[in-house]
Amino acid sequence: MRNSGLFNDHVKRLLGCLAGGVVLALMVGNQEGVQRDFGYAFRAAIFSPRLVVFLGFGLALFVAITYWSRISPYFVRPGARPLAAGAAAVVASYGLLHWTDSNQVTGGKLGALSSAVSGTDGISSFTRTFFGSVVPGTPWLLLVVVVALGVVSLVLRLPVLAWLAAGLGLLVGVWGYIAQSAVSDYLKTADHSTGAQVAILGYAAIASGCFVIARSQTDQADTVGFIERVFGWRPGFPLAVLGTAVGLVALLTATWFSPADRNPHLSGMTNLFSGEGLSAISSAYLSWLVWVIFVVALALAFAATYLSRQAFSWASIVIGLGAVVLTLTTMHEFSSIGGKSGFDGANGPWQNIGAGPWMLCGAFTMFAGAGWIALRQGRRVDPAAPTVVAKAGSNLNQVLIIVVLAGALFYPPTATQFWQTVIVAEIGIYVLLAIGLNVVVGWAGLLDLGFIAFYAIGSYTTAYLTGTLPIKPPDWLHLTPLAAIPFAIVICLLAGLALGAPTLRLRGDYLAIVTLGFGEIIRIVAVNADKVTNGPKGAFGIPQPVIHLGPIHIQWGQSALQFWYLLLVLIGVTVLLFNRLEHSRLGRAWAAIREDEVAAQATGINTTRVKLLAFAIGASTSGVAGVFFASQIGYINPDNFLLNNSILVVAYVVFGGMGSLPGAIAGAATLTWLPEFLKDQVPAEDRQMWIGAVILLMMIFRPAGLIPAKRRAAELSGFDGVKSAETVAVPAGEGM
Amino acid sequence: MSLLEVDDIEVRYGAIRALKGVSFNVEEGEVVALLGANGAGKTTTQKTVSGMMTPALGQIRFDGERIDGVPAHTLIHRGICHVPEGRRVFPRMSVAENLDMGAFRFKRPDLHVLARVFEMFPRLKERETQLAGTLSGGEQQMLAIGRALMGKPRLLLLDEPSMGLAPLIVKQIFDIVREINASGVTVLIVEQNAAQALGLANRGYVLETGEVVLSGSGQELLADDRVRAAYLGEEIATS
Ligand SMILES: Nc1ncnc2c1ncn2[C@@H]1O[C@H](COP(=O)(O)OP(=O)(O)OP(=O)(O)O)[C@@H](O)[C@H]1O
Ligand SMILES: [Mg+2]
Repeated sequence: MRNSGLFNDHVKRLLGCLAGGVVLALMVGNQEGVQRDFGYAFRAAIFSPRLVVFLGFGLALFVAITYWSRISPYFVRPGARPLAAGAAAVVASYGLLHWTDSNQVTGGKLGALSSAVSGTDGISSFTRTFFGSVVPGTPWLLLVVVVALGVVSLVLRLPVLAWLAAGLGLLVGVWGYIAQSAVSDYLKTADHSTGAQVAILGYAAIASGCFVIARSQTDQADTVGFIERVFGWRPGFPLAVLGTAVGLVALLTATWFSPADRNPHLSGMTNLFSGEGLSAISSAYLSWLVWVIFVVALALAFAATYLSRQAFSWASIVIGLGAVVLTLTTMHEFSSIGGKSGFDGANGPWQNIGAGPWMLCGAFTMFAGAGWIALRQGRRVDPAAPTVVAKAGSNLNQVLIIVVLAGALFYPPTATQFWQTVIVAEIGIYVLLAIGLNVVVGWAGLLDLGFIAFYAIGSYTTAYLTGTLPIKPPDWLHLTPLAAIPFAIVICLLAGLALGAPTLRLRGDYLAIVTLGFGEIIRIVAVNADKVTNGPKGAFGIPQPVIHLGPIHIQWGQSALQFWYLLLVLIGVTVLLFNRLEHSRLGRAWAAIREDEVAAQATGINTTRVKLLAFAIGASTSGVAGVFFASQIGYINPDNFLLNNSILVVAYVVFGGMGSLPGAIAGAATLTWLPEFLKDQVPAEDRQMWIGAVILLMMIFRPAGLIPAKRRAAELSGFDGVKSAETVAVPAGEGM
Repeated sequence: MSLLEVDDIEVRYGAIRALKGVSFNVEEGEVVALLGANGAGKTTTQKTVSGMMTPALGQIRFDGERIDGVPAHTLIHRGICHVPEGRRVFPRMSVAENLDMGAFRFKRPDLHVLARVFEMFPRLKERETQLAGTLSGGEQQMLAIGRALMGKPRLLLLDEPSMGLAPLIVKQIFDIVREINASGVTVLIVEQNAAQALGLANRGYVLETGEVVLSGSGQELLADDRVRAAYLGEEIATS
């Protein structure tokens, strides 16, 4: 029955959505009522600008529900999704992200920067025009124009408009990027803001979307096929392209050295260091050698990937890695000189280095990686070898591995102090924990909610062995933190067995509850056994790692970066080992018992032993993380090991994609990064809401996780054989 | 000496006595059928033989050696392979991976056996990369049998291989069991489909609430009134 008049279904739904938005806005706002004024929170929520955002959400929801059937045919057309994603990225960049770190601009967002810049005469009019000195709100207007052109061309299938949108999008992206770097040059402060980068990437996505719209007239985008074609065409080629782009930015626009008031690009370096006693090779490097090397490395990478000749591949690897070393030695040298000259209070090497040389290292790594991929791929195509399926897929993986590796090695030095700490103490540690838990939950299928207990055991083991607990170890067992790692591994292995043995017959929810209890027991013991663990006060003064091996002396503790590289080695070793493990007999046995325990038994798998091993191996990884944590932070107490943390690690693994090693890494990295990132972007009380929104979107669009394991993806694409909770939650065809 | 001798075993689930003293034997090269109503204890018997359960009393001997209480993952090395009730393939593994898992007891799968399996089940060859969970019921049963064959059994335990399959497929499956047996594998088969099973089996045993109530050659059992009444749905002329 249709209601007539004012309150037909559409109006009802619209009002419902808007009301939902208002309710959410009320719930998210500050909940603290003031005494005798309980309406305070209500008024605060109603009159805050946040309300508009929520009404917007409500409206978007209404449109999505009501018109989805009409929108979706366009949304699946080729190019639509890159266009949408790019537009979203640019909107986020314009609305949320920082465009400068300078404290001369309050807030540092695009809006504030625009009003500051448009009134400043010392900046070129090219730059000021972008920021709206002629027409206020220029960036937003341009975005609307570009996206509108793209959408119209998509809907009406007008290739001309699409070409126009693509070209305009690129121009606007580049314009914004140049304008932002001109401003940061003008402000002369080291700049770590990400707005301009995200915006140019967003525009690149828009432009590529429009390019696809212009070229392709089919109704249904074949995204997977497209990606496979791109990555399968010449193995490693995309990496060479990416390396070129990064390298050019590093050579042309990035800062190379950033003491106060100076931000020279590569071109300004020779000038800055002339007469400062730079060695011949370094000054040659800074003035012309780097260009030569760059061009040679680039040419080799392209030759290796395009022609697929082993000689080129090897040359590309050698030159690429050699270039990284040369860049690092040059950086060491000029920053030492900078340190001696006391620029900006620096007193040694590696200080005040800008992003440029680090990015260049990343680019050289990518060139070497391109050579490596070409080499591997060249071998694989050997016709005698058995056919390997999904060649393009594995090639994409290799590209990702290189990019992540280059990022992990060379991004952190360019980050701010704050981010360096976050990378070590949050992202890195939780990545290691997630890798460990993935063995238990993802591979063996045993839901463990007490995982943090092993982390605690690892930490307390370190505290004991370094002599910072009330009970002291015997002298011969008084160790440095790094030497404690093997002991922590063994003890956590045993603890894993101790937890596993009595609980093996439990499955699913019951196992979860018992493990949850185990986690709490460990924490409560740590609180109460004050003779042993020093109770709630915890252990203080846990020493930092040192290595004294013959001539090598390394003392950790000066900076977060040092810890990062230690952690990177630990993570790297774990990933390599676990990658082997996944495809080993043990890994296959885990997959089998997760799939069907009776069948696994029937094929001759010792299910008891295999499950115990999962617990033990997961636990020992967590123990390593515990050692690192204890020695990095220096003090531990039972509050570091709350149930909450266990649940978070499970969430990271699920978010990333259960049973997928890259997924666990990506999940933990994203969900630990996000809250810290949102810290400067949104009001504190809204932070959880944004995190919730991201998780929600993920669950709608990628229910199997960020980087799903092959098997889970299959399960969720909904075949009838297996009915899991997820397939029920996401009926086929319902997901948007 | 028989290949498998089951001697008066009693198996319990907690307080429930599922088998109350079952004895039978299987000679090398035979096909032996276990029949019985639902809940009679056929699956329990097979599970006990394959080492997934331990008898509380009684003995099981394989090749003359005691194997009761030896776990399944050890027994498989002696050549006892079990196709459990309800197929139980690994749904999210491909057909090829499932077959690989069947050879888990070896370092690497024997390619000759794999070729034999594909020869026996050409459908599996066609669907090598398909996920097992997406196979039809009949194909899954073929896969389950193929997987057990990858373990190079001497004694193959089949638990209701014809469950839920169309008559034509049932016939195919039984033909294949015959073929497997002809290649020298001893088979202990549990079936509801008594006519087919007894037509194939050298001998059969009928279980009822945990006890053997009847035994004999396939032909004898097929001719027995009680069997006909219970499994073939025939009216007995009351004498
Ligand atoms: N795990 C269990 N726990 C308790 N009782 C069980 C268990 N498994 C089987 N039983 C009981 O043991 C008896 C024998 O079961 P079994 O599965 O061996 O029967 P079956 O002859 O294979 O029957 P069907 O033809 O229906 O498969 C039944 O009464 C059953 O209820
Ligand atoms: Mg049964």
